Amino acid sequence: MSKDPLLDRHFLERLERLTIHWQRSFPGLVGGHNRSSFAGGGQEFLDHRNYHQGDDLRAVNWRTYMRLDKMFLKMFQIEPRVPVRMLLDTSVSMSMPSEGKSITKFDYARKLAASLCYVGLVRLDTIEVLPFSDHLHESKTCGGGRQRFTPLSNFLEGLKPAGQSSFMPVAKQFLNDYPQRGLVIIISDFLDEGDCQKAIQYIGDYGNELMLLQLWADEDRTPPWTGEFDFVDAESNAKLHIHVDADARKKYTEAFDAFSASLRTLAVRNNGKYTGLPTSLSIEDAIFGAMVQTRSIA
Amino acid sequence: MEFLNLTLGQFLLTFGVIAAFSVALYLLDRTRKRMVVSTLRFWVTPGQPAPVSRNRKVNQPMSLLLQLLGMLLLLLAIAEFQFGGALNKRRDHVLVLDTSAWMGASIPGNAKTTLMDVVRANALGWLRAVPPTDRVLVVRADGLATPVTSWESDRRKVARAILEAQPGATALSLSQNLEFARELQRQSGAEAGEIVYSGPGRISAREANAMALPSIPAFRVLNVDDAVENSGIRSVGARRSESDPGTWDILVRVKNYGKTARLANVTMNFGKAPMGIHPLELPPGGEKETIFKVRTRAAGIIEARLYPKDAFEADNYAALELPEQRVLHVVVYTDSPEQMRPALASDPRVNAEFKPKSQYKPDNDGLLVLDRFHPATPPQGNVLWIDPPPDKPPVPIKMRVEKPEGLRWIPDQPLTEGLRARNAQIESASVFELGPTTTPVADVEKGAVLVARADGKNRMVVIGFNPFAGSMRYELTTPLLLGNILRWMEPGVFRDVDVATQSSGAVSAPFTGTTDRNSVQVLTDNGAVLPFNIRDRAVQFFAGEPARVRVIAGSSERVFSLTLPEMWDAKWTAPSTARKGIPAWNDSLRRTTILWPWLALLGVGLLLAEWIIYGNASSARLHVIRGGLGRAA
Repeated sequence: MSKDPLLDRHFLERLERLTIHWQRSFPGLVGGHNRSSFAGGGQEFLDHRNYHQGDDLRAVNWRTYMRLDKMFLKMFQIEPRVPVRMLLDTSVSMSMPSEGKSITKFDYARKLAASLCYVGLVRLDTIEVLPFSDHLHESKTCGGGRQRFTPLSNFLEGLKPAGQSSFMPVAKQFLNDYPQRGLVIIISDFLDEGDCQKAIQYIGDYGNELMLLQLWADEDRTPPWTGEFDFVDAESNAKLHIHVDADARKKYTEAFDAFSASLRTLAVRNNGKYTGLPTSLSIEDAIFGAMVQTRSIA
Repeated sequence: MEFLNLTLGQFLLTFGVIAAFSVALYLLDRTRKRMVVSTLRFWVTPGQPAPVSRNRKVNQPMSLLLQLLGMLLLLLAIAEFQFGGALNKRRDHVLVLDTSAWMGASIPGNAKTTLMDVVRANALGWLRAVPPTDRVLVVRADGLATPVTSWESDRRKVARAILEAQPGATALSLSQNLEFARELQRQSGAEAGEIVYSGPGRISAREANAMALPSIPAFRVLNVDDAVENSGIRSVGARRSESDPGTWDILVRVKNYGKTARLANVTMNFGKAPMGIHPLELPPGGEKETIFKVRTRAAGIIEARLYPKDAFEADNYAALELPEQRVLHVVVYTDSPEQMRPALASDPRVNAEFKPKSQYKPDNDGLLVLDRFHPATPPQGNVLWIDPPPDKPPVPIKMRVEKPEGLRWIPDQPLTEGLRARNAQIESASVFELGPTTTPVADVEKGAVLVARADGKNRMVVIGFNPFAGSMRYELTTPLLLGNILRWMEPGVFRDVDVATQSSGAVSAPFTGTTDRNSVQVLTDNGAVLPFNIRDRAVQFFAGEPARVRVIAGSSERVFSLTLPEMWDAKWTAPSTARKGIPAWNDSLRRTTILWPWLALLGVGLLLAEWIIYGNASSARLHVIRGGLGRAA
């Protein structure tokens, strides 16, 4: 019995019209659709500068040298192939079952990641998927067109949720392993025992552009329960004895919304983008609706 | 305050069990549930301590209270809780419907509506006013009390019994019916309700003179106005005329039950032939009689009619079946008929034929009398031998005695009834030898001189002397003895027949003579035996419906054609303590309030409200309800 693919063919065909957008320019290899403001071996003229010893003589503007008798070097705009790095949360909190629904946040995150990867591959971007919990797991890099999507899809399907999420060590490891700046997409519920926002800010401060995709189940935001409960945290096993009533539920939702708002503020402050996605929202609606509206993709 | 279905103890026990079970379920439902979540942080308000569990208290006490209250109300509904205590106890009522013959009379101004219709309408009106929890038993009251339902709380069955009530043939025996109803109430075991009599209260004079109503705590009378002008035939009697044996004297008695004088014509028919018409002036409440003479020996039906017709037609017609008058054919073979002719000619029921011995024939269709004669061919049938010759006598002769002394009639026999003379002078007599089947009737010192023998259908009497000769001829004993012999030979011919038509109900038939009580029979036409009682030399029996009854007592027979309805003689007045009329809707009987549907509705409503407010996903339900209310507004 074959497993169902993460994304069906019809949906993939619709994704081919989309493009992942980021606002900043990053130095890198020519390739992809994003223009770079850095000089390099590109096709389009960008500026002149004085010649220094060791520069490529093929780039000297000989016409100017003949008229001014001074060597200037022509600089060209390069087409960078900046890899898009996608941090995918695989902690236990992502696998909490949702009442009345068969899909978990983890399943939803894998579908979302696959969709974004396909969009990037179609536009010849390089995608590197970095699963993480309290550290970075084995990553998967692919690029070169849509024909490379299948290995990536298999990689995503092989992921298992495990561990406790901890953003700070992950951020440190990420910055240490990937000094090249670029677009960093984080797909997570951002439910960290520590301060995940500080770690995310840390990534942003290193010049990366942030795209935060927060996932939540419906009961994560609006719990339906009433009565006496012993709540146990899925990752830390912390316990809380509480009586849930309408007032408590209201305060809970307010706290959750405040947390989501802080994530949005963090993304905007770093010239990034934030999209909140409940798992009750279909992947199609999430891609073509919420993410298009936030101009994460277009 | 009371519970109809449960005692207070049962109610409290049941509710206690249910409440304990409900509280246990409630506490189980409200106990803390363990749940693994990924968003624990949001349950704790920043800057404030974590909320403390309140599991030591009953959470949502209103929910538990609503549940308990709802179940209490439902249990009260099941127990049929009622306010009012003894006032609301289930009661047993007896409805006594007057179904006497008089109920067949039409009411004035409406020939199609009878008093029975009014009685039924009153009874149905009362039935509608009876509380639904009470039980009713219907008794049809005429000469007898007949319960037609059991204790019924099903009003349709009671109404059907009322509608099926029809007038009977007898008069009302009110005290007997009320006593019967009271006894039924005593035996029912429930709270005694009302005893309701629906009718005009027309009773017989016999009952009016000895009225003894039982003590009834709640007696209600649904009176019926029966101011109906009526005159009717009370009885028709037929008796053989004493002066003319072939004639019947038909006595017709007519009574005017109304309050105005009436001129009534009584017509008489025998078969299809009119026998006459007699006008009678009847004063109010008066009774007169008239006699028709009908000459016939044949059987037939006498019909008496009363004109003009009135509101009650049942007593305007009476029919009477006259029996055939039979004659005993007696053939006397004698050489001296003159001696016997006066004795046999004295009774018109005897047709005597005197023949010489030479014309002897053994044929016999009645009675053969052989006077000092022994035929060569033995006779058949009933035979009276008078002083048979000694050669070949019918009974062996022991001796012949001259001027015997001490003639004695053996008593306690039909053949010696009324014979008291002793030492009658007899010239000579044969003394018979008694056999096993021979009964001595008279004897002298030497032995029996008069014997009798009954052999199946044939009977034989042998007289050893000639009672029609000598001084015996002038004794009263001789015709009496001959009369007894004829009556013993053919009792059916000489039986005194009285035929009478009178009303059904209790009948008293006086009888005369020294008839043995064990010989009395009361039979209907189809041979059924009616129970009877003998008191004061009268046979008393009861016929509840029109019938033809024969009362046989010894040698007399009376035939009663009980085709006339038994009529009333007086009107009974209800006591002042009795309730009158149909109770109003707000009568005390209606004070019972049926609470259980409301209790059940309220209980279900409370449980529903608890489910909406405190049940799972109650907020969604409340949202839907608020939306619906908003749209409705």
